[in-house]
Amino acid sequence: MDRAFQRTRILTNHLLLSTPAQTACLTSNDCFNYSPPELSENYAFDVNEMRKLMDGHDVEERDRLFGLIIQSRLFNPRVRGGKVFVSPDYNQSMEQQREMTWKRIEYLLERGVFKGWMTGEGEDVEMKRFACFEVLGLFDHSISIKLGVHFFLWGGAIQFFGTKHHHDKWLRDTENYKVKGCFSMTELGHGSNVRGIETVTTYDSKTGEFVINTPCESAQKYWIGGAAKHATHTIVFSQLNINGNNEGVHALIAQIRDADGNVCPNIRIADCGHKIGLNGVDNGRIWFDNVRVPRENLLNSVADVSPDGKYLSSIKDPDQRFAAFLSPLTAGRVNIAVNAVYQSKVGLSIAIRYALTRRAFSLKPNEPEVLLLDYPSHQRRLLPLLAKIYAMSFGANYLKMLYVKRTPQSNKTIHVVSSSFKATITWSNMQILQECREACGGQGLKTENRVGHLKAEHDVQSTFEGDNNILMQQVSKALFAEYMAAQKRNKVFKGLGLEHMNKPCPVIPSQLTSTTLRCSQFQMDALCLRERELLNRFVADVSQYLAKGESKEQAFNMSYQVAEDLGKAFSDRAIFQTFVEAEATLASGSLKDVLGMVRSLYALNCLEDITYLRYGFLSVDNGVAVSREITKLCTELRPHALGLVSSFGIPDSFLSPIAFNWVDANSWSSVQH
Amino acid sequence: MASSVSSQHDEVLVEEKSFARILTLNRPKQLNALSSQMISRLLELFLANEDDPNVKLVILKGKGRAFCAGGDVAAVVHDIRAGGWRAGANFFMKEFTLNYLMATYSKLQVSILNGIVMGGGNGASMHGRFRVATENSLFAMPETALGLFPDVGASYFLSRLPGFFGEYLCLTGARLDGAEMLACGLATHFVQSAKLPALEAALCAADSSDTVIISSIIGQYSEQPSLKEQSVYNRLDVIDRCFSQKTVEDILSALENEAVNRRDGWISTTIQTLKKASPTSLKISLRSIRAGRLQGVGPCLIREYRMVCHVMRGEFSKDFFEGCRAILLDKDKNPKWEPSKLELITDTTVDIYFSKVKNEDWEDLKLPARSKFNLPPYVIAKL
Repeated sequence: MDRAFQRTRILTNHLLLSTPAQTACLTSNDCFNYSPPELSENYAFDVNEMRKLMDGHDVEERDRLFGLIIQSRLFNPRVRGGKVFVSPDYNQSMEQQREMTWKRIEYLLERGVFKGWMTGEGEDVEMKRFACFEVLGLFDHSISIKLGVHFFLWGGAIQFFGTKHHHDKWLRDTENYKVKGCFSMTELGHGSNVRGIETVTTYDSKTGEFVINTPCESAQKYWIGGAAKHATHTIVFSQLNINGNNEGVHALIAQIRDADGNVCPNIRIADCGHKIGLNGVDNGRIWFDNVRVPRENLLNSVADVSPDGKYLSSIKDPDQRFAAFLSPLTAGRVNIAVNAVYQSKVGLSIAIRYALTRRAFSLKPNEPEVLLLDYPSHQRRLLPLLAKIYAMSFGANYLKMLYVKRTPQSNKTIHVVSSSFKATITWSNMQILQECREACGGQGLKTENRVGHLKAEHDVQSTFEGDNNILMQQVSKALFAEYMAAQKRNKVFKGLGLEHMNKPCPVIPSQLTSTTLRCSQFQMDALCLRERELLNRFVADVSQYLAKGESKEQAFNMSYQVAEDLGKAFSDRAIFQTFVEAEATLASGSLKDVLGMVRSLYALNCLEDITYLRYGFLSVDNGVAVSREITKLCTELRPHALGLVSSFGIPDSFLSPIAFNWVDANSWSSVQH
Repeated sequence: MASSVSSQHDEVLVEEKSFARILTLNRPKQLNALSSQMISRLLELFLANEDDPNVKLVILKGKGRAFCAGGDVAAVVHDIRAGGWRAGANFFMKEFTLNYLMATYSKLQVSILNGIVMGGGNGASMHGRFRVATENSLFAMPETALGLFPDVGASYFLSRLPGFFGEYLCLTGARLDGAEMLACGLATHFVQSAKLPALEAALCAADSSDTVIISSIIGQYSEQPSLKEQSVYNRLDVIDRCFSQKTVEDILSALENEAVNRRDGWISTTIQTLKKASPTSLKISLRSIRAGRLQGVGPCLIREYRMVCHVMRGEFSKDFFEGCRAILLDKDKNPKWEPSKLELITDTTVDIYFSKVKNEDWEDLKLPARSKFNLPPYVIAKL
């Protein structure tokens, strides 16, 4: 009867509304009014304090840089729904986007943003630089990559591989962009396998010059950011051939353009063309035709060639020498991991704010439609991801600290942690952005709403500076080495957070209660258990292949599945640990209470991973208990959703129209008539 | 059908004209400086008018040669001397609440800025939807010369001016005329004062609360004044270069670099003004406007209330009292700031002004609840 009544009503409405005079009634319907979430949601904790905890450092510096961007016409401000949004005009041609990226860099340069980035020293400088990259990355991936190539790769190579005369000659000019650097490592035929590159450098003792050559098409340098248009100089990686001996991969400086931007003799440059994202970066290809550079251009901190052509190196082992060359890539990896966290923050802020204002379907006839975020299913889609990004924020902050406090002894830890975090966080970023895109429905497809577009912009993160799959395999190999070392020398595990391996294996209760599931000790036990079991299994699998006479390399290749599961188990546990440590620094209060729930949601979300059931670490019953608890936590965190995304500290201008008054932003009056 | 409902002696005069209410600040001898009573009265009137379905438009203006020269700071200092810093805090709590009410007002406010509009006067007008400047308008936020900082939500509305013009106005207290106010967006219209009576009559006859309609009515009396040749607004380039710098010290040295490159009276005046202002005020003002640029109007006022409480308490610097002495009371125009130099004020000290006041029963500013429905889009955008 109700149904029939409603249908009649709808039909009546249709008929009545067909006269123009009546259409005005439409706007008075509650559902069509945008109601700002700020006025209906309360913050149960201090959002500013939470932001300080999340960003971790340099909050004021970040805000200044946000302000510099918002206040300049160069950053393409547009008013939508009464608010200003900044984001590049992705509708511009590739050439225009590249020029805009460069103009923005010039603007920031003039404002002293890069002051001290190359010439300054110390942890504070490095942390501040990370903070600036996080902010710039929130504007656009292209600008952060373009700067990253110049400062972290080109500049970093000079800092790390060069010696004093290189520092004196290049660092200041790099900081103020007298030279524009790029980094020629990858070739058409070799990406992750840097040791296989084919570019060759020989030495001519008669002139005291190195001669760089691209011997074949697969040796052309490929994807070189900055090479297609702007860069004047590059670091070139090549096989150094001295007196017929291949001494392995070394790095030198070569000029590729003059100050007026003309390509130098014996250099050929071509464009990599339009890409699915990052079109504000001019990726290019370079061929070297017997390019001559002075002997001093060899970056000689690891190895040198004497004027008369003798090869000299303080590191005799070629493996170690090669490892030393790859160290600047670590900074890039740290940057990528951290940047990915911030992209997810953008996606989640937008999707959750939208879900707090967009309604769909009524539960009963004549009732207002339900807010998207009040649907348990919508909570279940977004809130575990929100918890994940909280955890990854703490992980990223830990990674940055680890990097800036680096010592020769911590190199291995940095390599393992940065590799695993980079892979885990960039993969999860793609997953989060996809979920957020879908959660915004069709609005997620509009470039101006950012979420969908960010996927294309950041897809590259899963493969550059180390393919994620390969990085995860490297992590497992490193853990394997730890295991063998401990076993062989009958020593305890020390470092990489593996100390739990020295303790008895944790036991998971057969009946998991809500209290247990929310206990951080249980959560830690469950994550350690998986890591431990997978490491044992990985060692066993590899050993079995070795016993059958397979080579070590082949044994690793055959055990790829466990290797990747182990890499994931390692990083989930390590990230969880950073969460627990951050939580422990807080005084009890509402902030800590909310974070406790977020931590539980993150941990239980990890426990829902397929590996727990695949390897039987959790019973089916316990798996169900975990799932049920996640649903409960989502309900409990729902009232904090706005507070949790507001704590990301991303200014409104860096989100998008659907995160705010999307009705007004799409109103007829906002259309350019 | 006009009727007068207030007496000549009231500090706020009220006229009811069909769907409009004209509120006139009526303390001409004090240039309409806002007393505590006036603020209470305005709060009362604004709340009542918002609820009254017969009211569609509120016009706010001042009697005499000022719209409003600011909050009655001399009275605040007097109250603090008599009743402690909390007396001062209470004044600002009420004033900022009024500012928030105006910023989130569901009806249209038209402020007629026919004369001086400074400090608290800006707080009472800039948050409203329409600000009408005239050839008599004289704008300034002069707080840094007084040992205070631009409050009343200035960290919201100044930070949203083009480029770094807001930082310039905020730190130097520079004065603008009506044409400049229009150019930078502080005013929405410019009307010759001779046309004001006609404009008022037209607004009162309007019977509309539609932004577009009201804007076009004001537009009929408006003109596009040209900037005077020496206008500071023609120097946006230099202002952007210098006032976008990171710290007050950096801003000063950027200005000094500009001065080296060319002889320019304006640059040296600007440098002199900055050097005469309270160093503590400069530092907290810069931090405040930069934070405000990224915040909604509510959080801006909450932050400014924290700051003003710290200033009133004077635990780190008593510059506010010294400034009031030198400018308003003794009028020797020679304040002795303490700390006396920028370099004596560290970031950690500045942090204090942004933290909660550690005092029993002190609370952050509680903003009045606003209806989540029927707020116009231009209000929603400010939240």
